[in-house]
Amino acid sequence: MSESRTIKAALASSDELAAPGKSLWHRIEPAALGIGSIVALLVVWELVPRLITLSAGTKLFFTTPSQVAGTLWRLFATGEIWTPLGVSASGFGLGLLLSIVVGLPLGVLIGRSRTLNDMIDPFITAFNATPRLVFLPLVMLWLGLGLWSKVLIVFIGALFPILINTYEGVRNADKVLINVVRSFGAKEWDIARLVVVPNAMPYIIAGLRLAIGRAVLGVVVAEFFGSESGLGVMMVQAAGRYQVDVVFSGLIIFAVLSLALTAMVQILEQRLSRWRPVHVSE
Amino acid sequence: MVACIEGRNVSLTFRPPNRGPVRALQGFDIDVQDGEFLSIVGPSGCGKSTFLNVVLGLIKADSGDVLMRGKPIAGPGTDRAMVFQEFGLLPWRTVLNNIELGLELKGVPAGQRRDVSQRFVQMVGLSGFEGHYPHELSGGMKQRVGLARALATDPDVLLMDEPFAALDAQTRDVMQVELLRIWHEAKKTVLFVTHQIEEAIYLSDRVMVMTKRPGHAKKIFAIDLPRPRDYEMRVTPEFNELKLQIWHALKDEITV
Amino acid sequence: MQNAGAPRESFLERHRKVLLGLLAVLLFFAAWQAAFLVVPFNPLFISKPNLIAKAFVDLIADGDMLRDLGVSAMPFLYGFVSAAVVGIVVGIVMGWRVRVGYALDPLMTVFYATPLVALAPLVIVFFGVGVSGKAIIIFSLSVFPFIFNAQAGVRAVDRLLINVVRSLGGSEWDLYVKVIVPGVLPYIVAGARIAVGRALIGILVGEFFAASEGIGYAIARFGDLFALDKMFACILAIMVIAIVLTEGIRWAERAAFPWRVGR
Repeated sequence: MSESRTIKAALASSDELAAPGKSLWHRIEPAALGIGSIVALLVVWELVPRLITLSAGTKLFFTTPSQVAGTLWRLFATGEIWTPLGVSASGFGLGLLLSIVVGLPLGVLIGRSRTLNDMIDPFITAFNATPRLVFLPLVMLWLGLGLWSKVLIVFIGALFPILINTYEGVRNADKVLINVVRSFGAKEWDIARLVVVPNAMPYIIAGLRLAIGRAVLGVVVAEFFGSESGLGVMMVQAAGRYQVDVVFSGLIIFAVLSLALTAMVQILEQRLSRWRPVHVSE
Repeated sequence: MVACIEGRNVSLTFRPPNRGPVRALQGFDIDVQDGEFLSIVGPSGCGKSTFLNVVLGLIKADSGDVLMRGKPIAGPGTDRAMVFQEFGLLPWRTVLNNIELGLELKGVPAGQRRDVSQRFVQMVGLSGFEGHYPHELSGGMKQRVGLARALATDPDVLLMDEPFAALDAQTRDVMQVELLRIWHEAKKTVLFVTHQIEEAIYLSDRVMVMTKRPGHAKKIFAIDLPRPRDYEMRVTPEFNELKLQIWHALKDEITV
Repeated sequence: MQNAGAPRESFLERHRKVLLGLLAVLLFFAAWQAAFLVVPFNPLFISKPNLIAKAFVDLIADGDMLRDLGVSAMPFLYGFVSAAVVGIVVGIVMGWRVRVGYALDPLMTVFYATPLVALAPLVIVFFGVGVSGKAIIIFSLSVFPFIFNAQAGVRAVDRLLINVVRSLGGSEWDLYVKVIVPGVLPYIVAGARIAVGRALIGILVGEFFAASEGIGYAIARFGDLFALDKMFACILAIMVIAIVLTEGIRWAERAAFPWRVGR
């Protein structure tokens, strides 16, 4: 919500700045400053060990962007990244998929029934306020160190954004449209299919975006504390061996994955929302 | 002779949560003849739209009988279709797909639906806009889609709930002319609810004035103006005389 | 006759939501308790409500839980408060100075999308398992909601209102007190609500990882000891704290900014 508002505000102020006659620089200024600050950060970071003599202890914990890039390259070139990446990805994928399979129908159901909604509301409020991480030791106790404890942690992390957004979208369904399809003899199933779900789609996709972030967090944390392999395990072990460049490589892979998935969801959203005059900002 | 739609002593009370009950209809009687164009005018909240929803089968009356050709109305059916005030178009469907909605729910095969909806696109004058989404249409065009969608299932009765209330005055006039043309072409019984006396007279065979809530019939006026009617008819003395009579019947019911 | 029945019906109707919710929670615990009568669960893997309640009372009575919570509260406060201060300042500057916003927006977005929690092992190795390590993890997780919301709040300040106050002869101070602060504050409080949740994640990560005390450590240790009743009691404590903090802020939002109800 705040994000889209920020974007709109940014657009508004850039329009103000781009007064007629003021040229190229004003159009590229935001991008130039944005990229510039990232580049500047990387350069300063790279130069620190060359300009300042770091103590031996600090050096142990220090890496530079060029080292990280080299390590990333090595991890992919030798192929040693693929096994942990695959393990993490399967836990992530299965958990997220499960959360969609469960969260979507459940959200529709709760959104359509006032009684069910009133009954489940305390549980949703409680679980949504609580960091789901608190269940990690319990999940590990139940499911052990394998794939499935990871799947379950990802699942309970990603479930609530999907469930809550679906339910909000469903509750927002236009009463008139529901009456329209009912007047043509629609049953509850038709109402869900024809009105409720399409109407909730923007909300569901916003929920999916949130869920991706939560799922990545779930994978990372689950692997830190209870896993035999995966990217997170690789990172913990590297941290123990002071291979800071490997830790950052893992971080970057996670970041790129989560950004790429979010971008994919955004593309999906654009394809699904041709019918909308303006994009709904959730 | 059995009336097309018949209401006998219909009463209905809404019980909204967290508020007191609202008596919408009490002792409401009505007869709509086959092929007739009947308008109901009444003050805001008098229950006229509620009765339309009862006929449509979306709500049930608490007591009294609502009959369609002598049989009680138990729920929605393909012999009745509604044109909604807020258009009620599915925003994620194109014009053609919106018109197909009723046929789709009726289980008509896809190819056949396409032919039928295409025909009604033409009837309401929307050729060339089949692939447009509702947000790309003007208000008048949206309601043409709403009309085509209602007609596509070939109902006996067309229920119209202030269908032109959301349109600007000029578009409204044009749509009234269009509606009469389509009504002649499609030959349906129409039950039309409106706030506008002039609109009711111009379109109808009979006009019913309702009391304020809980609503029932106050007076029925026969509109013996010749058909086909043209726009100029609205300034004839006969037209204005009717307008005055109906206004007198209505004005005591309006509370500001 | 109608009147006699009406009040009772409206009482049930008015409190329907609360009553149904309460009923569901009671049913949930009753079903949980009753399930043990039917299925012989292994007590090493699951506990039942009455034992958990007893463990909860015991842990409070002998002071263990409060001590653990106290240990966790310190880094939580340090991390959260510094995140609020830094986040609000950075966010306001980013919102107010357009060029600073341009420069830092992409950077912040990248940071925010990065699961910074993945750096926890490194932070712990570097700073140790004490207060500072946990506080840094909490800070890094909870600073972003403050930044983004403060920025959005400043940008949402109505330019028209600024002109209105100026045209009525208001000073710069009036501008701040009457327009800008009331405009931005709701955003910041909403940010705080999100940040609380993330800070709680931070404390758990920090303490699961390698701590010797604190509520997160207690949960992990009771799990290792198969003391399921105590483990559930600690989980329950976290849940209660999380709900009280989140719903408390939500309530404060409604009370302090009634004009924003419905957002």
